[in-house]
Amino acid sequence: MIQLDQVTKRYPSSDEVLKNVSLHIEAGELIYVTGHSGAGKSTLLKLIAATERPSSGTVLIANQNTSQLKPSAIPFLRRRFGLIFQDHKLLYDRNCFENVILPLHINGITGLEAAKRVRAALDKVGLLHKEKAMPITLSGGEQQRLAIARAVVSRPSILIADEPTGNLDASYAAEIMSIFHAFHQVGVTVIMATHDALSQHGAQNRVLHLTQGRLTEHKAQGLT
Amino acid sequence: MMMHWLNHQSQAFQSVLARMRQNIAATLMICLVIGVTMCLPSLFYLGLDGLSKLSNHLHQETEISVFLKLEASKNTVDEIDALLAKNSQIQAYHFVGKDEAWQQLKSKANNTANEVINQLEKNPLPDAFFIQAKSTDPEALEALRSELQNTPGVAQALLNADWAKRLASLLSLSKMLIIFISLLLAIVLLVIIGNTIRMQILTQKEEIEVSYLIGATHRFIRTPFLYAGLLYGLFGALLAILMMTGMVLAFNYAIASLSHLYNSDFQLPLMHSKLYLTLICTAMFIGLAGAYFAVTRTLEKIVKAQTSL
Repeated sequence: MIQLDQVTKRYPSSDEVLKNVSLHIEAGELIYVTGHSGAGKSTLLKLIAATERPSSGTVLIANQNTSQLKPSAIPFLRRRFGLIFQDHKLLYDRNCFENVILPLHINGITGLEAAKRVRAALDKVGLLHKEKAMPITLSGGEQQRLAIARAVVSRPSILIADEPTGNLDASYAAEIMSIFHAFHQVGVTVIMATHDALSQHGAQNRVLHLTQGRLTEHKAQGLT
Repeated sequence: MMMHWLNHQSQAFQSVLARMRQNIAATLMICLVIGVTMCLPSLFYLGLDGLSKLSNHLHQETEISVFLKLEASKNTVDEIDALLAKNSQIQAYHFVGKDEAWQQLKSKANNTANEVINQLEKNPLPDAFFIQAKSTDPEALEALRSELQNTPGVAQALLNADWAKRLASLLSLSKMLIIFISLLLAIVLLVIIGNTIRMQILTQKEEIEVSYLIGATHRFIRTPFLYAGLLYGLFGALLAILMMTGMVLAFNYAIASLSHLYNSDFQLPLMHSKLYLTLICTAMFIGLAGAYFAVTRTLEKIVKAQTSL
């Protein structure tokens, strides 16, 4: 489903952030990407989500090479993903409901169908009672859950989360992680960057570890 | 597919209207600027149009007076009469003999003038033809006049509407001026609308960035701003028409008494549908073009800043 082949990423006036990374992700997997900050976790996720292109090597998503896609095809590729950003990227000029409905509008879904889906997504993350609230009035954990609702409302088959628990205390973090596991349970591919010690959920899952742009892979058992 | 497209358009349209309602003061301001800018050349045009209609009206009354030499004999008069009758450019003419003119002058003159006239020993007036030409075109009239001037026996052929000719050329000069001014103002509008749209894009930068990240197409981002440009043009033009109507009403009221004195019913037209239609279409086009340039340039910048390729 997602295949990286000898991918190197270099930003202008910087060293290689990723060096010769190859990996293969099947549908329905739950994958952790670990490593110190600056190790290239975010960059790897951006390459997978087609918001960046590799400097060399190929990134295949559903057999489409992101480097060779026409710019006009990129948006449609991105719609396969639900993205959760480290800094939420919520829009603070509108309420929760309007934040979550944005991806549906982008997909051309409006009216009652859209409202139904927004409420379903808010319900899944436990924010149904706050649909009229402005994001700024929510706690950090609630904001992250709202971001998750926005990511899943268009029912993507792949969820990509960049340090979703990064700024949260332990109880909120556990809450967020259990939401991701719930999505994984119903068949969604989840790719998550984290620098936290892995929770008990991580037992049988793949861990991709980045050290200064190089990838090593192992099963999670050893870490728990 | 069609439904999807329509859905997208109406969604974009509604979001623009909602945003305009939210910032009603700013929206009104920009529409007012567009309105005033369009109002200026339009008013100028309306005035000129009225004047040139008035001068056309005068042209139709244009006649050429042909005065014969004092010593012209009855024969010469008959010859010229025959020439005029043959000339295809002449619609109508009539002859006023020297005696007839003399009588007319005497009967019209008041007491003091009468004394002067009576002191004259003989009739100083020449025979004259008053000619109505078919054409109202100043050049054709001038050609006819000089032709008549060169006819033997003619002392002087006068075109009574020299000043009308000057007015006509002045009017055409002014029309050219209006075109230049309109072009300049069109550029001004393009810049104003483009800048307004650019500012709006920048205030919505976050939303646009997030939208791109989660798979929005350029079209999805661009369409609302194009509608905004189109609507600014439309509202601006409507405002301009409203202002013009008000000013024309006031002007007509003021000029009514004046034109009454001149026995004329000169009025500026209140409904000038062709001008209004042109105004609306032009404004909407300029709005769309300004928005298009602004959106294309600004979005390019946002996308470039977001992904380093």
